[in-house]
Amino acid sequence: MIEQFESSLMQFFGAIAWGKWISTLFLLILGIVLASFAARGVTRFMEDRASRHHTVMLRRLVFYIVLAIFFVAALREAGFSLDVVLGAAGILTVAIGFASQTSASNMISGLFLLVEKPFEIGNFIEVENTIGEVVSIDMLSVKLRTPDNLYVRIPNETLIKTRVVNRSRFPIRRMDLTVGIAYAEDVERVEKLLLELARQNSASLEEPKAFVLVTGFGPSSVDLQFSFWVPSNKVLEGRSQMMVAIKKTLDEEGVEIPFPHTSIYAGSHSEPFRVELLRPETTTNKGGPDADQNG
Amino acid sequence: MTTSLDTQRTMQDGHWATPYTLEPGQTQYHELSHTRIWITLLDQEWLIRYQRMPEDDNQERWQQRVTHTLPDADLEVHRFVRPDDGSQVCYLPAMSSLATVIRPYQPLTIPAESECTIYVGTLLWMRIQAGSKGTHLMELPLADPSLTWVGRTTMEGELCYSAATFARLVLEAVPKRPWRAITPVRIVNERQEPLLLERFNLPTPLLSLHRNDKGQLWTPRVTVTCETDMNSARLKIDQSLIAAAGQCELISPAREQTSRGGLVRAYDRIFG
Repeated sequence: MIEQFESSLMQFFGAIAWGKWISTLFLLILGIVLASFAARGVTRFMEDRASRHHTVMLRRLVFYIVLAIFFVAALREAGFSLDVVLGAAGILTVAIGFASQTSASNMISGLFLLVEKPFEIGNFIEVENTIGEVVSIDMLSVKLRTPDNLYVRIPNETLIKTRVVNRSRFPIRRMDLTVGIAYAEDVERVEKLLLELARQNSASLEEPKAFVLVTGFGPSSVDLQFSFWVPSNKVLEGRSQMMVAIKKTLDEEGVEIPFPHTSIYAGSHSEPFRVELLRPETTTNKGGPDADQNG
Repeated sequence: MTTSLDTQRTMQDGHWATPYTLEPGQTQYHELSHTRIWITLLDQEWLIRYQRMPEDDNQERWQQRVTHTLPDADLEVHRFVRPDDGSQVCYLPAMSSLATVIRPYQPLTIPAESECTIYVGTLLWMRIQAGSKGTHLMELPLADPSLTWVGRTTMEGELCYSAATFARLVLEAVPKRPWRAITPVRIVNERQEPLLLERFNLPTPLLSLHRNDKGQLWTPRVTVTCETDMNSARLKIDQSLIAAAGQCELISPAREQTSRGGLVRAYDRIFG
């Protein structure tokens, strides 16, 4: 009986076309090795010539293409008819397609972003109320680092569909500060003071020229808009330094920056309210109760 | 704080590209342009301190003297490890690293098909070199430079320094100060209409500095030719200095070299 078992086993092993399977396996392994060599070669070539993002993408592409070629060759060697494989692949693709709509949309959005280049790695962008520095642009998403060091992942789809503000695209930016001065002050004098401040500030540029506009007669103050240009890398310190300088100069020149005022009239331009000053030492005598105990 | 008359008498004139020797513990104090500088040599390090002061228009000398007094303790100190045992310190002038926009205080009109030469003074940087090998320590501007934007739009262009000038047409009227270099600018208006000169862009990184026998600093002449359009004026930098400068020696080479033998196309940079 053992002999029978042995012989059927031998038959089984003999029937398998070892040569074919070994050559298939060999092709697969060769494919993997060659693909990784090609990928490494491409990386070294692209490193100095393109951004890191492009290099990584091309490396992955080359790896998978070479691997796919060898995989197909291995399949043919193994005897699978390519038509059947493609047919099966077609159905599989449809099924996967339905399942991965979002991912595909993100991937395609990523490709469009790559070509359009609305921002690059290192720019500060604002998407849906999130401001951050772009740290990587990947196939499906873009990763940001917020100013308080949080990691935010934004899907590419959002970037294509909604408004994206690139805050560091242009080298200079205009700072608009609102300054409110009391109605009693001379607006032209304050304008001269502010323009002189812009001239003295080291971050503020000479051209485009700084300007002051009166934007409105507010409820408590005359509102001025003071605009000046700074280089993009001096935005925060430029604004802060200037606001400190404005306060200091206006205080020195005796110009009042009012806090909200409300004027109360007792009737129609009538006499002022009676005000009684109480000394701090004496305790107030509140007087007797309004109503008598007995009614 | 202006120096008293006594102190002024004990201060000597400073000179560019001249080595001064200090003993360890001594400080060399300079007053020029808008700046006061203290250079101190210690056994193992060099210390440099500087402070801005309002410019005295009457002051035409670069004053320096060697003392032991130091400035306020709260002034920022720049420390440098002593590169070698040499105790010489040397000062070289340098032009600005960004192009400079020159704005005449009053705009000048050049009639059609004529030319003029104006003399412009620009802000200099002081390069401090120490030790027997002349190791570069640091570089500082002799006044706070102001930046401006040059470009057709706020999207493209570049940041430049800005300088206001009297745009004098007569060389003798130009005040000769040791901390300013004189650049002759020859403007040729080849158009049929007059040219209003409100501002132009001087390529200061391309200019070399020379000193004549009177100790004045000069740069080669820059010729600006405006043919048809204001925006496409051509700039050319001469290879040598004008005759009025006298016999000159090269003190500092230009920071950058032009690739086309002195001819620079300024596009929109030149006027606006």
